[in-house]
Amino acid sequence: MKTSVDELRRTRPRSRLLRAAAWAVAALVVFSWMSGDFGLEQLGGERRLANLERFTGELRPWPVQQQGGFDAGSTADWRTVYDWAAALMADGGSKALASTAAIAVLASVLAALVGYLACWPAARNVARPAPFFGGPAVAGQRRRLRLAHWAWSALNHSVRAVLLFARAVPEYLWAFLLVESLGYTALPAVLALALHNAGILGRLGAETVENMPPAAARALAAAGASRSQTAAAVFPSLLPRLLLYFFYRWETCVREATVLGMLGVLSLGSLIRDARAGNLYDELFFYVLLGALMVLAGDLLSALARGLVRRA
Amino acid sequence: MSSATDSRAGTQRAVVGAGKRRAVVGAIAAAGLASAALLSAQGQLTLPGLESLELLGRFFSHALRPALDYGSPFVPVGAPPLLLQVATATWRTVQLAVAAMSLAVPVALLLGFAGASAWWRLPGPGGRAVLRRLGPLVYAPARVVMTLARSVHELLWALLFLAAVGLSDTAAVLAIAIPYAGTLGKVFSEMIDEAPRDAAVQLTGSGATAAQAFSLALLPRALPDMAAYTFYRFECALRSAAVLGFFGPETLGKFIRLAWNESLYAELWTYLYALFALIAVSDMASRALRQRFLGETPAR
Repeated sequence: MKTSVDELRRTRPRSRLLRAAAWAVAALVVFSWMSGDFGLEQLGGERRLANLERFTGELRPWPVQQQGGFDAGSTADWRTVYDWAAALMADGGSKALASTAAIAVLASVLAALVGYLACWPAARNVARPAPFFGGPAVAGQRRRLRLAHWAWSALNHSVRAVLLFARAVPEYLWAFLLVESLGYTALPAVLALALHNAGILGRLGAETVENMPPAAARALAAAGASRSQTAAAVFPSLLPRLLLYFFYRWETCVREATVLGMLGVLSLGSLIRDARAGNLYDELFFYVLLGALMVLAGDLLSALARGLVRRA
Repeated sequence: MSSATDSRAGTQRAVVGAGKRRAVVGAIAAAGLASAALLSAQGQLTLPGLESLELLGRFFSHALRPALDYGSPFVPVGAPPLLLQVATATWRTVQLAVAAMSLAVPVALLLGFAGASAWWRLPGPGGRAVLRRLGPLVYAPARVVMTLARSVHELLWALLFLAAVGLSDTAAVLAIAIPYAGTLGKVFSEMIDEAPRDAAVQLTGSGATAAQAFSLALLPRALPDMAAYTFYRFECALRSAAVLGFFGPETLGKFIRLAWNESLYAELWTYLYALFALIAVSDMASRALRQRFLGETPAR
């Protein structure tokens, strides 16, 4: 019994690539920690701890602080907190909330429009002389076919490169460049979010197109349908998966839209930035919590929508 | 006869499904239009003027000629050559991302296991009913912690650290590690719960303990997906580490902002291409590994 276990262990499939990768990752982790300046003392120190104490003390709403906190004998109660929060919401909070949501929705819709158009030329089974038929190009083809093959491959690779670049640059960085040049309105923020997410949705869409069962598309192509006709015909069968991806990206758009405000666009982030600049830590904390609530609401809505799509 | 009824029911279901999908797509389009209307009512969708388009044009016109050396006449004394500076900033980005991930993954594994309900629902010999009652006491708090951690964006964590104790390199690591642990943990626990349980049920049926069934039959089913998702999150961590440079750490984001503020567009593109190369390399490496594991890329 023991020997057979040993034998099984000896003969188990092993991958040299995976083993080398594991060692490389371990070395990278060790080297990063050793070479970096990551001491715990950076979080402590007398001055920092004093600052931390002040910070945590000032997280409580200002009226509560004034009335002596929640200790016995204080006049502060939940009514005080509610009035304070309601005043903040009326004073720009709800407007910023609406703007954040609108930026996230508009950006993800634009990203889906662009990404799900770009995914067709980015799919290797579409961007080829004989679309939807697998297999390498036949050797010794006529020159015209070789040329067509080359042209499709060039288109495919350039679309893929653009999508890769769009998603390699983080949305915050795109937003910084666009906001600084186009002005502090929602438009550059929307464009930045849309650009990054179009890169992601385009790649995921291309994978979906490449992985679809080829029978229906081949039948259509063999019957003489053009590329776009075939694509339009098989699109509904890909829709559930594309919708799932859309909702996943919408969730992250909500997260990102809150922080893009820190660049000066109206969203929760701009209120957070202003509160930080004015050392109003109670307001800072309130808006961070509001943003967290919004992210949770977005996740919930997205989960419901994904459930609907899955069951449909 | 019955097969004909079946197929008719199937067609009917498909038609209803298509209707639902169409409704979802319609709702998305309506939400998009409503958002555009709201933003333009707030005066936030005004088209940019010619001047700002010129500025953007100047920026993009440098895309094909990134700088290999400083372009500004004012180079600080003792500044390293530009390419060395770029390499250092790139390494700092990797360093921050690796440090953050190496904290986030172990914590996420703990939280993810605690947050998975599959562990408590495995059938087994006597006493499991009690365990099934106890389950929520463990996985509910774990899920709350993960939710709290991930619902605050890493840049907001960075801002909170900045206000509380200053954004040192250690604080930057934590700012990324906290939300990433939450996200990774949530996805890990979902993957464990969604893994096929046939083998685990078989094992417990033939007398294996719950721990044996979990570690030998359930976990190996989820592991490839978990590894693939971890690689993907590392790519995200690289991007987050780069952006965190806007708030202090000397990663790529810091130098991109400095170059923009001084209108050094050629140098800016050098940093952008460094970031692009970093993401492309990690994307290729993780794809090679993923194909070993899965043969397909994960949904998230």
